[in-house]
Amino acid sequence: MFAGPGTALFLCVVIVPFLYGLYLTLTSWDGVSLSKPFVGFQNFAAAFKDTTYWQAMGRTVIYSIFAVILINIVAFALAFLVTSGVKGQNFFRAGFFVPNLIGGIVLGYVWQFVFNRAFVAIGNLFSGGTTVSLLSTPNGAMFCLILVSVWQYAGYMMLIYVAGFMSVSKDVQEAAMIDGCTSAQAMKNVTIPLMRSSFVQCIFLSITRCFVVYDVNLSLTKGEPFGSSVMAAMHVYNQAFTYKNYGLGQAEAVILFLVCAIVGVTQVLVGKRGEVEA
Amino acid sequence: MKRRALALILTLAMIMAFALCGGSAFAAKNVSLTIFNSKMEIQSQMEEMAEEYSSTHDVDVEVYYSSDTVAAHMSTKYASNDPYVISMVDAKDIFSLGPDHAIDLSDQDWVKETSQAISVDGKVLGFPVCVEARGILYNADAIEKVTGEAFDPASVRTTEDFQALIDKLVAGGMETPTGLQKEDWSLGAHYLQQVYEMQPDPDAFIAGIKDGSVKLAEDPVFNALMDTFDVMKENNWKKDAPLSAVREDTEMMLAEGEIAFKFGGNWDWANISAFDYTENMGMMPVPSALDEYNTKLVGGGSKYFFIDNTVSEEQQQAAKDFLNWLVFDEAGQDFLVNTCALVPAFANITLPVSDPLGASVKSFADTDSLIADYRYAPDDHYAKNGISFQKYLAGQIDRAGLAAEITEYWATAEVGAH
Repeated sequence: MFAGPGTALFLCVVIVPFLYGLYLTLTSWDGVSLSKPFVGFQNFAAAFKDTTYWQAMGRTVIYSIFAVILINIVAFALAFLVTSGVKGQNFFRAGFFVPNLIGGIVLGYVWQFVFNRAFVAIGNLFSGGTTVSLLSTPNGAMFCLILVSVWQYAGYMMLIYVAGFMSVSKDVQEAAMIDGCTSAQAMKNVTIPLMRSSFVQCIFLSITRCFVVYDVNLSLTKGEPFGSSVMAAMHVYNQAFTYKNYGLGQAEAVILFLVCAIVGVTQVLVGKRGEVEA
Repeated sequence: MKRRALALILTLAMIMAFALCGGSAFAAKNVSLTIFNSKMEIQSQMEEMAEEYSSTHDVDVEVYYSSDTVAAHMSTKYASNDPYVISMVDAKDIFSLGPDHAIDLSDQDWVKETSQAISVDGKVLGFPVCVEARGILYNADAIEKVTGEAFDPASVRTTEDFQALIDKLVAGGMETPTGLQKEDWSLGAHYLQQVYEMQPDPDAFIAGIKDGSVKLAEDPVFNALMDTFDVMKENNWKKDAPLSAVREDTEMMLAEGEIAFKFGGNWDWANISAFDYTENMGMMPVPSALDEYNTKLVGGGSKYFFIDNTVSEEQQQAAKDFLNWLVFDEAGQDFLVNTCALVPAFANITLPVSDPLGASVKSFADTDSLIADYRYAPDDHYAKNGISFQKYLAGQIDRAGLAAEITEYWATAEVGAH
């Protein structure tokens, strides 16, 4: 009874569209015509043959690996910093979290300006006018994407780590210190194992977000230069809407969803297995 | 009991909220006219016009813009079953969307006044918003200042003429006289498509690429155009980083006479006019070895309005009235020609075109010197070949590589129905 309205809403806005989307993968609809010809599993066959899709997917995996690792390292370091009792730590907590409040699109445009104008202007000052924007080379564009993602998500993940730090009672740390641990040892052997659930959550969140990155990708690089920074989600969007292969795009979206779900769930299962309590 | 009272109050609040929403909708004028504008450079003018038009007519005009590509934006709108009453799209979209979604406008008075309307199966579906053409934009003041002689665009016909003039400019101190845009539509749709448009039969040419009977790398038109492109690429002010050239920067350089030439079209005026421009600018054909084509710009009707067929009768009528206002009402004509600086596609509009680029286009159009646009390239043509062209611009592939990538694209692509 009490779950009724919620379930109904969930059915309407998640399950029904999802099933309808699955149905669309079986058609060769172009996105605008009134007829939706049924083609069976042809779209999935085409998706497996779409080399640019798999290139985009490979790129997304590389991007995700770097971004996830860096996001979590930076977030953990920030969390450590703002729970260690530095002066004005509440101010810093808020400050590091702010990038996450700016939408991805705005953030992308701001950074685009920084990379294309500010950095180039500074570079020109030192080199005498030969600096090339990082965004105009394939590796540079990838680097920029990773950097901006880290900047955006580190503050958010920091909050979860902060909660993790707070949940570890001072008693166990002090006990470890009395037993002769250095503070680094106490961190490694007591605090971090007790915070394992924070790690699992943060890594899960950052993996799932990185895999379906779109907004920053769109506003920061738009896939340029020459399509070398098109991530999987952007390719799916282009395929469905720009190239008007809605069915194929939808099929590729389903594959992306499955990949993302498998990676995310495996990570959680592996992570949970080793959780300990004080 | 308390809980039940609370539930009752909440229910009432919800109903009130619904009623308020409904109420406000009824309070507005009952005919709403939504217009999708796909010309970014006239968005603010469109918005002002919407306000003005709403206050003098019994409709509520709202103008929308999307930074997405036109076809993509229309797909999302139709996929969510939320069409605009009037949509401004590219010519090719009229062929793909029109038959399913547009109403027949054959009985409208403006049809007689234009040669650019698009008909599909004998029905007029697309209203031409303006005439646009592509070519080389030049800044005569900048050229004359360096060379010291009067500049006659007609004297630059071949790639050699072009190269000679550029050499002269470089010798005179203008180090980088040209500008190229990196956008995929500029390279993939505007520059590359000239290779098809300057063929006697574009369809047969593309069919030839597909079946292998045409070798693109050896095609004289392709090579002639690429020779000119190379000259521009070599003298590009962003030669070191052509892919980080910002469109507005290049336009500013041209406006202020820092560079002398830019490949583009008369739509660039909307941006150029925002800078501190010099008066003597214009457009000339892309110089090349192709004698029959190097005296003409490429263009024609550009951007088309169509009216959606699922909106209410009143909305359709309001939309038709709006189109008639643009063509026959003085205020509408003034809006098109003076406010938006467009070259009108209608014979009855006699207002002089105010901007120099538009005036160039009009003089070419009046002397029948426009090469027709090729409108049937597939939706992914400009994006995918634009990427190949960007690689060429950045020096990642050579001309043979570019020809190979375009040929590979056409191996699986299909020309749109027409």
